[in-house]
Amino acid sequence: MLRTTQLYGYHTKHAKLTEFAGYEMPLWYTTTTDEHMAVRNKSGIFDVSHMGRFVVKGCRAGPFLEDLVPTSVQSQPPGKAFYTLLLNDGGGIIDDLIIEKLADDRYMVVVNAANAKTDMEHMVALVPQGFEVNDLTSDSAMVAVQGPKASDSLQPLAELDLAQLKRFRCAETKVLGEEAIVSRTGYTGEDGFEVIVYGASNEHPEGAIRVWERLAATSTPCGLAARDSLRLEAGLPLHGSDIDQSTNPYRADLSWVVSAGKTGFVGSKAVAEAATQHPQSIRRGLILDVGIPRHGFEIEGATGSVGTVTSGGFSPIIKKGIALCLVAYDNSGFGTRVSVNVRDAPQGATITKPPFYDERLYGWKRQKDN
Amino acid sequence: MYTKEHEWAKEEGGVVRIGITDYAAKTLNDVVYVTSPKVNDRVEQAKTMGTVESIKAVSEVYSPVSGTVTRVNSELDSHPELVNKSPYGEGWLVEVRASNLATERKGLLDAKAYVALLSTLLKN
Repeated sequence: MLRTTQLYGYHTKHAKLTEFAGYEMPLWYTTTTDEHMAVRNKSGIFDVSHMGRFVVKGCRAGPFLEDLVPTSVQSQPPGKAFYTLLLNDGGGIIDDLIIEKLADDRYMVVVNAANAKTDMEHMVALVPQGFEVNDLTSDSAMVAVQGPKASDSLQPLAELDLAQLKRFRCAETKVLGEEAIVSRTGYTGEDGFEVIVYGASNEHPEGAIRVWERLAATSTPCGLAARDSLRLEAGLPLHGSDIDQSTNPYRADLSWVVSAGKTGFVGSKAVAEAATQHPQSIRRGLILDVGIPRHGFEIEGATGSVGTVTSGGFSPIIKKGIALCLVAYDNSGFGTRVSVNVRDAPQGATITKPPFYDERLYGWKRQKDN
Repeated sequence: MYTKEHEWAKEEGGVVRIGITDYAAKTLNDVVYVTSPKVNDRVEQAKTMGTVESIKAVSEVYSPVSGTVTRVNSELDSHPELVNKSPYGEGWLVEVRASNLATERKGLLDAKAYVALLSTLLKN
């Protein structure tokens, strides 16, 4: 039986539903293109309650997380939200995640729905005695508000002055009177927020529903299809497609998450070894001249097969087929011309550095007042 | 006439215009890219003759009839969304001069049979 989120009642009335990571989730409400463009031009809301949410607290919470991830934890100031990775002993990526440091002894760990169980097992195996990681996933809701107008949409509901919450910061506040954690993070490339509403439960989802419906008055509800096309266009990897346990941070082109000089975390030996040489292949962006690349398509260079498309689709902004791919390091220079086998028809393509849109016009770095 | 794979075919004087049904277009959600055979290409009944793609997915188009392509809807190059807006009208894909229509017709569904197929699909 599929799990549902607190907002399921709304979705069944308004969305085309799909199974994702054991949950019944909205795939789209109207069309993927309209929802995608709403986020790039105004603001959109996503039910991301399926994502795993773990609370790690106590005086040993900081040291525990410090040993768990390649990014420095205890040197981060309270109120910081940061992207990092869970690695296995070989340096392979078990999951990518956001850690919200609420206080020196209290953290919210947000992970991919599809990996939540694996992550929990990984953490529990390493947890010191008498210390607990609490799974808050089913006792809370999580809504992402994304786009250049996200702040205008969320501010009337939030006690917190959102102008004071900078990018990759988090704070505890109230949203429509509900206890909430708000972080200025997201998975679209745009400015925006992720709001964890707790206190509500699956039996009493009224608080989460009120928050969603109020936001829906000023933001466009978006499904998983637009969530995927937006993250792809922003060049953000999807665990399970673009990165996985066979990908180390260097191969994933995510080596910036490894804090300089940090040792002693799970996988640190393998990571240190990987740092001494170029990876054989590396994650890159790809723009096709014609056609749409899809997961698994082969990439050919002058020397034959040089890589594989790990996720592909169509960019509504540049109106071309785009992809993330793994390509041989020797073929990974930006601007390198390759060809992609689109159902036996080779199509010209260029290796690029994502995001795929013009950052002066779209995304959180855009010039304001346009 | 319709196929079980949700193409429609309309014959006029031996030339068959082909498209995908409203159900197929709605299932794809929003068509952003169409690949079709070229004029003078040969297509075979029930064989792939092109693709219709949404942002997320690819759907193959199976030719309802065998024959030679006489026209391709080039409007779809710049306006693939016509497949969603008007699947039976401006969103048509190709026209084919049918080579074996009398026999192949038996392999197609009439409107009544296609509606029956849709109602079983919508029930599930």
